[in-house]
Amino acid sequence: MSEMTQNSTFSDGLLAGFPIVLGYFPIAFAFGVAATGQGLNGWEAFGLSLIVYAGAAQFLALALITSGAPVLIAAFTLVAMNLRHVLYGPALLKRAGAAVSRRYAWAWAFGLTDEVFGAALGQLARGRRFSEPFMFGLGLAAYASWLSGTALGAYAGGGALQGWPVLEAALGFMLPALFLALLLSILSRAQVPVIAVAAVATVLVSLLVSGTAGILAGMIAGAAAGLLGLGGRDAG
Amino acid sequence: MRADILTLALIVGLFTWAFRFFPTRADISRLPQGGALSRFLAATGPAAIATLFTASVVPFVEGGLPLPLAFGTVAVLAVYTASRSVVGATMAGSVGYGSGVWLLGTV
Repeated sequence: MSEMTQNSTFSDGLLAGFPIVLGYFPIAFAFGVAATGQGLNGWEAFGLSLIVYAGAAQFLALALITSGAPVLIAAFTLVAMNLRHVLYGPALLKRAGAAVSRRYAWAWAFGLTDEVFGAALGQLARGRRFSEPFMFGLGLAAYASWLSGTALGAYAGGGALQGWPVLEAALGFMLPALFLALLLSILSRAQVPVIAVAAVATVLVSLLVSGTAGILAGMIAGAAAGLLGLGGRDAG
Repeated sequence: MRADILTLALIVGLFTWAFRFFPTRADISRLPQGGALSRFLAATGPAAIATLFTASVVPFVEGGLPLPLAFGTVAVLAVYTASRSVVGATMAGSVGYGSGVWLLGTV
């Protein structure tokens, strides 16, 4: 990715969203394939992506729907899984500076997924100025990729990747690769202890309790490490 | 779209939007630089991304450390170090992992 300028237009946001587009499309495609493979029709698969727009929660939703879980129980589980998103807005705005406009946050915050948050933070860390048009561009690129991937996957239907196991495996690693690249893009020496604490807590709680609990534990433990001063005086 | 799936999507979608939007209304302008909440928020980003990377990798290492994972990880590190490109590193990681699977015939 090129060096940052001070421009933060809608187009800059679209361009900055390109890595997410690459990461989202195959995952969304896999979601569409999995959803139709488990008995949802194309509109139901697309509707989940359109309305929920949270990848991990959508895959879990498939498992809950096909297991026959009551709607309220399933909803509670998925809402709890997405609770981590409450941290993203303040963390992003803390980095952006308190004076930035938040007038249209009700709209662009809809697209503040894990990856959009990570990409926005990476851009700010490398000198990008925060702006709402930039956030709209970044979010729209990601959302369009997620929706189009879902639609194509649903159209292809369940089992579409069964004849292409190497391709399926490669696409399955796209999201971990994106997270690692995003982590490298914001990495600083001062934050290594925070990252280590988050990683250890995630692994331990994931293995001992569940993956969802591991995600919450990792984020809270890492942020708590920062609170205790392990991330430098005002890391970020 | 079946009513139960639509209901589920609307409930989860509404709460997820609320989780993403309402915290942006918080007034963070008066946070003292270097204060406790300031440090907490500054550490949240790296902690969140580290957590999501770790969580996404855990399924790959359960049952042993597969070589394709090492291929993919090394590819991301190498390409990012050489180019500082998130796009290139992501693509290289995917190609590296797929290559590892193909070479080792593990699928």
